Amino acid sequence: MSSAAASQGTASESPGSTPEEKTLPLEGVRIIDLGTFLGGPFAASILGEFGAEVLKVEHPVSGDPMRRFGRATKRHDATLAWLSEARNKKSVTIDLRKPRGVELFIKLVSKSDVLIENFRPGTMESWGLGWDVLSAANPGLVMLRVSGYGQTGPYRKRTGFAHIAHAVGGLSYLCGFPGETPVVPGTAPLGDYISSLYGAIGILLGLRWKEQTGEGQVIDVAIYEAVFRLMDELAGSYGMFGKVREREGSGSFVAVPHGHFRTKDEKWIAIACTTDKMFERLAEAMERPELSSSHLYGPQRQRLKARDEVNRIVNEWTGSLTRDEIMERCIDKEVPVGKLNSIADIFEDEHFKARNDLFTIEEEGIGPVVVPNVVPILSETPGRIRNLGPPLGNATYEVMRELLEISAAEIASLRQQKII
Amino acid sequence: MTEEAKERLPLSGIRVIDVATVIAAPYCATILGEFGADVLKVEHPVGGDVARHFGTPTARGDTLTWMSEARNKRSVTIDLHRPEGKELFKKLVAKTDVVCENFRPGTLEKWGIGWEVLRELNPRLVMLRVSGYGQTGPYKDRPGFARIAHAVGGIAYLSGMPRGTPVTPGSTTLGDYLSGLYGCVGVLLALRHRDKTGRGQYIDTALYESVFRCTEELAPAYAMYGTVRERGGPHIETACPYGHFPTKDGKWVAIACTTDKLFARLADAMGRPELASTGLYGEQKIRLDNRHEVNEIVRDWCGSHTREEVLEKCNAANAPAGALNNIADIFGDRQFHARRNLLAIDDPDLGETVIVPNVVPRMSRTPGRIKQLGPKLGQHTEEVLKDLLGLGDSEIAELRSHRVI
Repeated sequence: MSSAAASQGTASESPGSTPEEKTLPLEGVRIIDLGTFLGGPFAASILGEFGAEVLKVEHPVSGDPMRRFGRATKRHDATLAWLSEARNKKSVTIDLRKPRGVELFIKLVSKSDVLIENFRPGTMESWGLGWDVLSAANPGLVMLRVSGYGQTGPYRKRTGFAHIAHAVGGLSYLCGFPGETPVVPGTAPLGDYISSLYGAIGILLGLRWKEQTGEGQVIDVAIYEAVFRLMDELAGSYGMFGKVREREGSGSFVAVPHGHFRTKDEKWIAIACTTDKMFERLAEAMERPELSSSHLYGPQRQRLKARDEVNRIVNEWTGSLTRDEIMERCIDKEVPVGKLNSIADIFEDEHFKARNDLFTIEEEGIGPVVVPNVVPILSETPGRIRNLGPPLGNATYEVMRELLEISAAEIASLRQQKII
Repeated sequence: MTEEAKERLPLSGIRVIDVATVIAAPYCATILGEFGADVLKVEHPVGGDVARHFGTPTARGDTLTWMSEARNKRSVTIDLHRPEGKELFKKLVAKTDVVCENFRPGTLEKWGIGWEVLRELNPRLVMLRVSGYGQTGPYKDRPGFARIAHAVGGIAYLSGMPRGTPVTPGSTTLGDYLSGLYGCVGVLLALRHRDKTGRGQYIDTALYESVFRCTEELAPAYAMYGTVRERGGPHIETACPYGHFPTKDGKWVAIACTTDKLFARLADAMGRPELASTGLYGEQKIRLDNRHEVNEIVRDWCGSHTREEVLEKCNAANAPAGALNNIADIFGDRQFHARRNLLAIDDPDLGETVIVPNVVPRMSRTPGRIKQLGPKLGQHTEEVLKDLLGLGDSEIAELRSHRVI
């Protein structure tokens, strides 16, 4: 079922790879990813896709808890979420609660360009790894710090996850039906992805600045803040008009019809008529052009006033045809429409296939794993997936020996003491 | 942030043309502008960017969304349907580092100013192309909006009560912002590559792909186990208690116990540490097997306290809980104030203060800045044509009389 739908590839082949691999934008950049789960580490995943060397520094025994988060696989140290999102990383184990581990880590930082962490503010400092120490070791260091509430402010020490950040940042309040239980906005770690995207932007800006001036800096991303930044005019309209936006179910306060509609075969579609012209096209697709006349529902203002009635008419129409029939008629008239895809639908979708959005990679001991491909697509320097989430400590020896120039005997002793 | 902003920022000296509309590609330009780029918003002389009409209008006519998201940009009107307009645009592109656009694929090509033409003019150009479905594939010509992208990309299906109507995942513009963010990562990568090699490139960002990329193990789990994830309401399948719970005062809190340790802390906060014992609900697996019971216990507890009380007890025990804030709550929230997440900016033309979200991310040495809110239509046409293209007063007057600008 699945692998046929996905693009084919192997561990040594990248999406859109050419025989002679092009130099990627971040070749030569070394990133230490000391974070756990996704908020922060996903920034390293993106940068790794575009050529950075990413060293995932983990606790020697337990590793990143992300390894245990989600669906298990045949590999005991890897869930599917880990395999997909720790793509391209190398795992290096160091125990930062031991003094010798801290020494090794500082040495590693001095040979790296970027450090990513997402502990609760103050944790790194308690290990003797505050910014003062790290920037002394590497004045050009770019450090991304992701946390629930940021490095400052009264809540900074509180436990924060994406789920909490969606609530604090104002997104969850808007998700659900008016007066009913607010629901999860689609996926639980959305805020982790969003904060990581901001983090990746901060890192790229920070690297640019460092190359211009030699100066490093800290990028402080709060997950709640990253979520709140996406709330279009929510703050502006409360500030100016005192308007508190409420949950709108499947609709939107700016336009009608603009929502999700059920079809005859018990599936769903999304329709978004943001302008009068688009509603006119929908009325044509429905073979009821009179609906878009000026005295009926032609102008948006009138549709907004008669919101329930307009939605009822559209629902009645979508309920009388299958999803495929609705899609065909709407596409024919250029109505903005889309299937409300489940993951099963996505694997069948010809557009996902054509753009190679599903990437299959053969993982040793597991078999084929299908993961979302690289986003965005760069024309000259497309990103690549060389390997999935690594086994715990798979690059510890290599990094200790080659990068930190520690003798084989000492490495053995560090291992024995469980420092690495 | 305006006063303390440094003169030089990471993108000082970079010029960006934002010829896009609404939020998706324009938001990329917004971020670049916050960190020092000179952003020229190229708009149609009549009406301009539709974002000016999208949302709640101000007394100035332009909406609040425009005022906030067109921050720092300079508005230059050019009619790209006119030959003289195309020439002006090409001259600008020759002096520009980045172009951001989000027309339907093929539109700029139809106007004779597609990637091939622009790259010829400026081999160092970086171009961000955002569209509903991307520049390739069978759906590329379909109109695409964030609402549609949420549906196609798989997150609308997951938003809502089990078997109930799928709802908007919080905000109808979410996919636009996500695409702007992915696009901005792409632009910064491409600028870096260009600085090293002298060669520009384009970035192809599809709204639906930006959404789909944020679905963690949704695809791998379907491929390996055939699991089709369904809507979970306020809860998720992998952890319990995890969700939204109403409080005595008619408000809501979010609670997320993803590990046993976190549940033990919640049990402490509830004054019922025995709940976290191994004989009861100490283990995630047991909690998931008895999720209705566990959720009921948490719901009862939350329902017998005000939101403030619940949060106070949870914070004292380090249990992961947060207020489910509406925008009024946010304006009163100490953390938002301490981090200056809300910035009040006077707009001289409006004669009023507009409150907008402050710059994200926060950089210690080169903090981003908001110099001004969204400009008036064509506010900077003359200065840009004079300073950048060296046009004289009479030429500008003529272009104006022909409505090219």
